[in-house]
Amino acid sequence: MAKYIVRRLITMVIMVFVISLVIFIALQSTGVDPVGQMLGVDNYTKEAAEEMREKLGLNDPIIVQFFRWWGNIFKGEYGKSIALGYTVKDGLIAKWPATLEITLYALLISTVIGLLIGMLSAFWQNSIIDYLGRGIAVLGNSMPEYFFALILIQIFSIKLGLLPSAGRIPAGGGSRLPNLILPVCALAIPLCGNLMRYTRNTMLDVANQEYVKLARSKGIPEWKVYIKHIFRNSMRPVITILLFRLTILIGGSVAVETVFAWPGVGQVLTKAITASDYWVVMFYTLFMAIMMLSISFLIDLIGALLDPRVRLGK
Amino acid sequence: MAENNVTNTNTTNSIDNARKYGTKLWKKKVRKFFNNRLAVFGLLVVVIFLVLMIGAPIFTKWDPNAPNFKAKLVGPNAEHLLGTDSLGRDLFARILYGGRTSVLIAVVSSFIGSTIGTILGAIGGYFEGFIDKCLVRLQEIVSCFPQLILVLIVVAFIGPGTWNLILIFALTGWTGCFRLVRSEFIARKEETYVKVCEAFGMSNVKIMFSQILPSVLTTVIVQLTMNIPGYVMQEAGLSFLGFGVPMNTPTWGTMLNAAKASSILINNPHCWLVPGLAISLFVLAVNFFGDGLRDVMDPRQQ
Amino acid sequence: MEDKKIILDVKNLNTSFKSDGQVIKIIKDVSFQLEKGRSLAIVGESGCGKSVTVHSVTRLMAKNAIINSDHVIYRSYRNSEEPKEYRIDKMSNYGKEMRSLRGPEISMVFQDPMASLNPVYRVGDQIIEGLLEHNKSMSKKEAMEKAIDMLKKLGIPAPEQRVKDYPYQLSGGMKQRIVIAIAMINDPELIIADEPTTALDVTIQAQIMELMKKLQTDYNKSIILITHNMGLVTEMADDVIVMYMGRIVEKGSLRQIFSNPSHPYTKMLLSSVPVLGLEQGQKLTTIPGSTPNPADLKEGCEFAGRCPFCTDACLKGKIPGFEIEEGHMVRCLRCAGHKEVD
Repeated sequence: MAKYIVRRLITMVIMVFVISLVIFIALQSTGVDPVGQMLGVDNYTKEAAEEMREKLGLNDPIIVQFFRWWGNIFKGEYGKSIALGYTVKDGLIAKWPATLEITLYALLISTVIGLLIGMLSAFWQNSIIDYLGRGIAVLGNSMPEYFFALILIQIFSIKLGLLPSAGRIPAGGGSRLPNLILPVCALAIPLCGNLMRYTRNTMLDVANQEYVKLARSKGIPEWKVYIKHIFRNSMRPVITILLFRLTILIGGSVAVETVFAWPGVGQVLTKAITASDYWVVMFYTLFMAIMMLSISFLIDLIGALLDPRVRLGK
Repeated sequence: MAENNVTNTNTTNSIDNARKYGTKLWKKKVRKFFNNRLAVFGLLVVVIFLVLMIGAPIFTKWDPNAPNFKAKLVGPNAEHLLGTDSLGRDLFARILYGGRTSVLIAVVSSFIGSTIGTILGAIGGYFEGFIDKCLVRLQEIVSCFPQLILVLIVVAFIGPGTWNLILIFALTGWTGCFRLVRSEFIARKEETYVKVCEAFGMSNVKIMFSQILPSVLTTVIVQLTMNIPGYVMQEAGLSFLGFGVPMNTPTWGTMLNAAKASSILINNPHCWLVPGLAISLFVLAVNFFGDGLRDVMDPRQQ
Repeated sequence: MEDKKIILDVKNLNTSFKSDGQVIKIIKDVSFQLEKGRSLAIVGESGCGKSVTVHSVTRLMAKNAIINSDHVIYRSYRNSEEPKEYRIDKMSNYGKEMRSLRGPEISMVFQDPMASLNPVYRVGDQIIEGLLEHNKSMSKKEAMEKAIDMLKKLGIPAPEQRVKDYPYQLSGGMKQRIVIAIAMINDPELIIADEPTTALDVTIQAQIMELMKKLQTDYNKSIILITHNMGLVTEMADDVIVMYMGRIVEKGSLRQIFSNPSHPYTKMLLSSVPVLGLEQGQKLTTIPGSTPNPADLKEGCEFAGRCPFCTDACLKGKIPGFEIEEGHMVRCLRCAGHKEVD
């Protein structure tokens, strides 16, 4: 097991490296001239640009620049926005709390409700709760989240005037809850629908297994059959999908943040992409890649812990 | 004598039955599909959408791109079935013509992505070993790229456009199909009929594509169908943010982009409700259709 | 007749499945009785309704099943000569009463030992799960000791280690012994074995069957064995029921069925299986045709389509069962003239 973990970690490091190299080269070869943007149209002269290039080390081979960038990352210097001048630390990392605020709530709420309704609708198949859950799942699956967000705004902010439609109250600026409700709902309900459907189907699948019949033939009550046998054996696939959604913690939902003018990383990223601000993009990509890799590592690890075959090292 | 006759007719009957069985099974599947009301509804809606979009010039007299400043932001009426946008362009016409692009992007991306995924998955699953390891790593790397970043890179390289979007979707979208086909191949490769083909000295390529692939194909087709709604939504999402198709090309996504102007968001909800509902209805219909298709063609998949 | 101890009494059991809006009858008017301490084999081709019959009795059915019967009675002779009667047909599938029977009174051994054990729990825990459920006061340690005892009785070496194993660590034969241990742990009176050896190697099959036979004779248990293996039937069974397309076509004692098979289907079934004592040069025959789809069946004898003796009368109405000797029922018009019993 320990050997397996070490091996996985090593491949992970290599993969992060490869991914960052690919993105680095790709971004460098997009032909965007950072110097031109930094100087602006007014100050732009060939000499000034050349001087700046030399100063920033942009004339060095890509590989050298790449390792310099990595070196800076290790030193804690994550780079600077070319177009807007902010450092990644102030402009991007500082925005994470805002993103985390809505994504964490959305994840928590959708996980609890999704699992619960999913389990209940597997238990009471074809009941009202099952149809309700399936209805929400179908809607959540077929409506883009930002469109759903627009509808929420139309109903609750514009027509009913109950909730604010945009912005975030900074710390100490009064109650933050009203501003949170709509964005969290817009994120949580589609997530919730998917999880419900998945939990339900996985559990129904497991319920057809022979060992569930054997468990029933022991005369144990149905709720024990469901918890101990059916749910326990559905956990591995369900946890996999749960972990995969953790990426939105880091990545945020760009579209929903845009609709609600939520000052999170999604917004920063949109602006950075529009301005071809590649240090910001680079850093964001690196983080997303690390996040994705860690999650797939976690999935394997938890899967192994849940499955005795892997856990005991076969 | 009489007894013998009975036996004979029975035997002939069963041979006939066996012959008929192929077509009977197919008929049974069609019947099963049409028993599923949601699937039939999905099929119907998809067909209506396709007919309207393909025959767009017959169903609307408006040019989707011609501005009409005399009729800006009018609500749905007899003249403009679904109203007009801020430039006075007819929304019904834009939905039909725009739908062409949206659906084209989704279908073509899904098709190319599934083809790439199937071929790579077949190779990886059949040969295993080193090639397989490389392909699995490649797949992991691809699924780690945030799609938005890829769009940026491609847009910066070759400029924004419909085909660039398809390229990105196809390049990032093959991984699901790859995993599916790969695991099917790994499982099926051990089956007797494959071993028999190997024993007869059939070439690897022939076994892969003429023996194993057909039995995996239904799964791939179902997967391909089920991927389409996702691409419709992704196109709309990217275009909504302004990174997808150029703004002057009507698609359901670029139409939704109008809602980013707060005056339209507040005062003219029909401008964004119409494309939003079009997306939702289409995606819903394809999902229902796909579910029904899967139940009939590939009941093992949940 | 009176001093017979009937442990299971099934009268006119019918089970149907709802599928695609159609209701398909799977088993039709099945009646039989099982005496305490005897073993009954239910034989027939795949899909003839053997499994569904016993699953209907134990109520372990999918939700789309509809079970009807005149009665299904289980009698427990455990404490006194006066039996305790349970009306299984009146109980709900997973209700308290039915659950109290499952395990301590009736238990089951399923077909596929590979799939019968939950992969994520240690086998010891799976054995004691039922024991603890029906003996609330028992401690986990006591239960585990009983489980180890049981494994010892079943001839499993090093049972103290085995209970700590996960299913994947055991061989198929070993798993099936564990499944039998699960079935036996509550000391039930009736054990229903649904093709318990089909998934196993031939040598292991013999061991498992010997084990079950020993349980039956040593502890005076009753067994229902479902199988399509005629060899097993001759070794194991006291009584035999032959089923075809959801109906009992012939039933009687082992001797009656094997020495005087009277339904054309039984005859064909017996001549199509190699049994010990096949005469030299005697050929194995096959049954022409294939089993019809239960959804397509019309009235009359279910076997008519494959029967060499089929007449017009066979295609009409319900075919009654005739008692051609005491306790030997045949559902075939060729036996008409004997006493009608069903």
